[in-house]
Amino acid sequence: MSSSRFPVPQGTLDMLILQILSLEPAHGYGIAQRLEQISKSVVQVNQGSLYPALHRLEQKGWLKTDWKQSETGREAKFYSLTRSGQNQLRVERHGWARLTGAVQLIFDEGSAQ
Amino acid sequence: MNRILNWLRLRKLESELDRELKYHIDRRVSDLIRSGLPEFEARRRAALELGGVTQVREEVRDIWLTRWLRDFVYDLRFSARAFLRNPSFTATAVLSLALGIGATTALYSLIDQVVLRPLPVDHPERLVLIDWIGSQMAETLGTDNLMSYPICRDLQQQKEFFDGVFCRAATTINLSTSGEPRLTAAELVSGTYFSVLGVSPALGRLFTIDDDQAPGSSPVVVLSYDFWKNQFESAQDIVGRKVLVNQHAMTVVGVAEPTFHGIDVGEVPSLWIPAVMSAEAIPGFNTMLDRRTRWVQILGRLKQNVSLARTQTGLQPWFKAMLDEDTRRTDFSRVSAERRRQFLASTLGLTAAPQGHSILRHSLSRPLWVLFVATAVLLALACLNVAGLLLARGSARHRELSTRLALGASRGRIGRQLLADSVLLAFAGGLLGVVIAPVAVRALIAFLPRNTAATDLEANVDTRLLLFAFLVSMATGFLAGAAPALQARRESLVSSLRERAGTAFGGLSLRRAIMTAQIAFTLILVIAAGLFVRTLSGLLAKGPGFDTSSLISFGISPKRNGYSPADANRLIRRIHEEIRRSASTQISAIANFQLLLGGAWNNPLTIQGTERFTTDRDVHLNAVTPGFFATLGTRIVGGRDFDEHDSLPLNEGGQRVVIVNEAFVKRYFGGRNPLGAHVGMGSGLDVKPDTEIIGVVEDFSYRSVRERWEQAYFPIGAAYSGSNFYVRFRGTPESAYAAMRSVLRNADPTLPIAYSRTLDEQVNRSLNTERMLAALSSSFGTLALLLSLVGLYGVMSFVVTQRTREIGIRLALGATRLSTIWLVLRDALVMISAGTAIALPCVWALGRLVESQLYDVKPTDPVTILMATLILCSTALCAALIPAHRASAVNPNNALRSE
Repeated sequence: MSSSRFPVPQGTLDMLILQILSLEPAHGYGIAQRLEQISKSVVQVNQGSLYPALHRLEQKGWLKTDWKQSETGREAKFYSLTRSGQNQLRVERHGWARLTGAVQLIFDEGSAQ
Repeated sequence: MNRILNWLRLRKLESELDRELKYHIDRRVSDLIRSGLPEFEARRRAALELGGVTQVREEVRDIWLTRWLRDFVYDLRFSARAFLRNPSFTATAVLSLALGIGATTALYSLIDQVVLRPLPVDHPERLVLIDWIGSQMAETLGTDNLMSYPICRDLQQQKEFFDGVFCRAATTINLSTSGEPRLTAAELVSGTYFSVLGVSPALGRLFTIDDDQAPGSSPVVVLSYDFWKNQFESAQDIVGRKVLVNQHAMTVVGVAEPTFHGIDVGEVPSLWIPAVMSAEAIPGFNTMLDRRTRWVQILGRLKQNVSLARTQTGLQPWFKAMLDEDTRRTDFSRVSAERRRQFLASTLGLTAAPQGHSILRHSLSRPLWVLFVATAVLLALACLNVAGLLLARGSARHRELSTRLALGASRGRIGRQLLADSVLLAFAGGLLGVVIAPVAVRALIAFLPRNTAATDLEANVDTRLLLFAFLVSMATGFLAGAAPALQARRESLVSSLRERAGTAFGGLSLRRAIMTAQIAFTLILVIAAGLFVRTLSGLLAKGPGFDTSSLISFGISPKRNGYSPADANRLIRRIHEEIRRSASTQISAIANFQLLLGGAWNNPLTIQGTERFTTDRDVHLNAVTPGFFATLGTRIVGGRDFDEHDSLPLNEGGQRVVIVNEAFVKRYFGGRNPLGAHVGMGSGLDVKPDTEIIGVVEDFSYRSVRERWEQAYFPIGAAYSGSNFYVRFRGTPESAYAAMRSVLRNADPTLPIAYSRTLDEQVNRSLNTERMLAALSSSFGTLALLLSLVGLYGVMSFVVTQRTREIGIRLALGATRLSTIWLVLRDALVMISAGTAIALPCVWALGRLVESQLYDVKPTDPVTILMATLILCSTALCAALIPAHRASAVNPNNALRSE
């Protein structure tokens, strides 16, 4: 594992999962792979924390689950967004934008000096 | 909620998770193999990436169940271990909670059965009782909410409001199924009864509208399921069999469903008889179709979406029209204008009756609620007691808790631990309480008045009761645990760690507040006990006004055995002569109505003295044989007793005579001599006052021991009959009973004895409710006193331990022993007086609840309140004196050195 990959910042894993599932329903392994693909292997997801996160989101009512046939033909548990999950994603996106904006501002301030 | 559900489907969730994880690993392994890794290496890598399957599983399970719930289970386990190590503390706490919860549950069980539980029929909430409010000007047969049968038929036509209307009357019949006739509880009902209630048959058919035709046209009966099971051993061929109701043959047409026990919880019928057969079921009753005879209760089922209020107003036009029509009927022509106005002012009253109709409920619901409030107070007291105990234990555990706080436990976490303590205690208490409750219910039922009809009350623990006990335990646990838990939140960690063990002042003000509340609750219960005991002792001291020793009464009813009125009279006369001749009899007499049964024959009288007037309220009437007053041992204070002449028919030399009591003379003659004045039965203008007052008897109780009322007695003979015997005997009651039985057996072996008891028993029975209130309230009071004394002792001991150093310094500086005692007692006095100050307004407020249950004493009776306060204060001070004395015995040297 290359050291150029850094772990997901705390608390953003939920947001990333919601984002991925907003594109299409997926199973746990699929989500893990897509996380890697999308982030071009920059972000490293600890797969051990993926499943607790999925179950936590399900418990909160943001995800719903279905046992469906996967691309390999075996039954897998597919997650998809519920309506409140979609809302939550919007909220988190907004929050993230504000946070990164603020962080950027602080950096800009620092480089201006 | 979700999480609690998760507890229940944990296994399913786990197997799903396993499948999900297996899928993940398999996919990862096959991907890795495809990228060139050997299988062994691939598996290792896959597992490593996931960070261990077991760990993931643990984490996910935490999410499902929440730590909170899981930790609570650990807390409970921890509490249980701690309690087992301290059995005396645990036993005290659990026992006081068990008493509180058990008593409350038992009372709730009775209230549920008598007052709250709806009938086991379809939509009981739509049943209403239809009652006449005002003067009906009718003959009365029975008690409470009575109407005439024709009104029921009228109401059945009001289809705009009702899905159906039925009427019913409880009665006792003489039933022979195969052998000897036996007195059996029955319910006379209209043909609509079962269909309106929505009861279905277990066998055969139930009554229909066809059973509601002409009087005497439908000689059929429906049996209750229990009666069929017990009496007929569930015979499948029961339908079509004949039974004898008062010697009239009637056919069994069906058996009602098992859960249905009639609509009166206090009088459960064994069989139902159509109302049209009332002449056969009630000997001498032949006015079923008369509008001026009220003898049935009428209930209706409201149409869906029709409200009670709308029905009530909607029925008034019809009702007014009926009143008008009634006044035009011939039998109404000679009524005084005043009475007519009263009659026309009547209205129709509707009340919701989802629980059916019950006289027992009417008479018992108030005493039961009173007791329920008392048990609730007792439970609150037990709760406070346990809270106090827990607080004390909390201070003892101070070090442990501080250490846990210092090690990083959150205050909420510690509070939860303390809450787990009290919840566990409450559950143990609740469990024990549920075990106690049925015993208590059985004891309570024994206090209730009983008659020939069986009551439907049972001492079973059902799910409703379990739920109640569970909720009460829950609430108790949280209430008792709230104080210590709050206390744990408030304490400052630094200061408590700095202090030495055992000197923490933790929760003292809270314990004082709890103690004050306990004193207040106790005082309320002690005052209540005082009031009820004074009521009972007042009634017992007053007595019925006649000598009850060596007096028995028994009753027969030959007309129910098929005797004609004339034959019945001859039989009664013969029996009476035999009884008189018996060696064990001193003197005996017969009355038309029983004494001290809670009921009476009521009617207004028209009096013709110097002027003619009508009594302003019903007079209690009875008919008796000569010697009745002598048998009771009451004196004739003026005039004479009846003699044999008075019993003769008018054309054989008899005359119309009446004896009145002193209360009657006082109210209507102002104490002047009433002898020679005339009275007539009733209040109409056509009443002829032709009955001469020939005697005045001293007052004694007729309806109940409580009552002082105007009474008038007519002679048994031509006009009135009676079959209730009163016998004053020599020797033991057993020999008197034996003599009575042999006389009756000789007269007619098939004649059942309706009842037989000594008058002492009768007085006791009539005071059952008062005795129940007195016995229970005084045991509650004693228990409460005990609980709070223990509590006070505990608090004061704690205070003294806390202040040992201070007291030592005071003593060293020259304080006297006496002033030290005062120092501690003052503390207790403040709590006692604060508690008293809280309790007195509460007593005043609760007084209205108990007022109707008292006799000769007001709920705010100063003597009772003073006595109760004195008892509480003196015993409480005694409890405080022991620690106070210990304080005065502190050795200043030791106290200061121990620091």
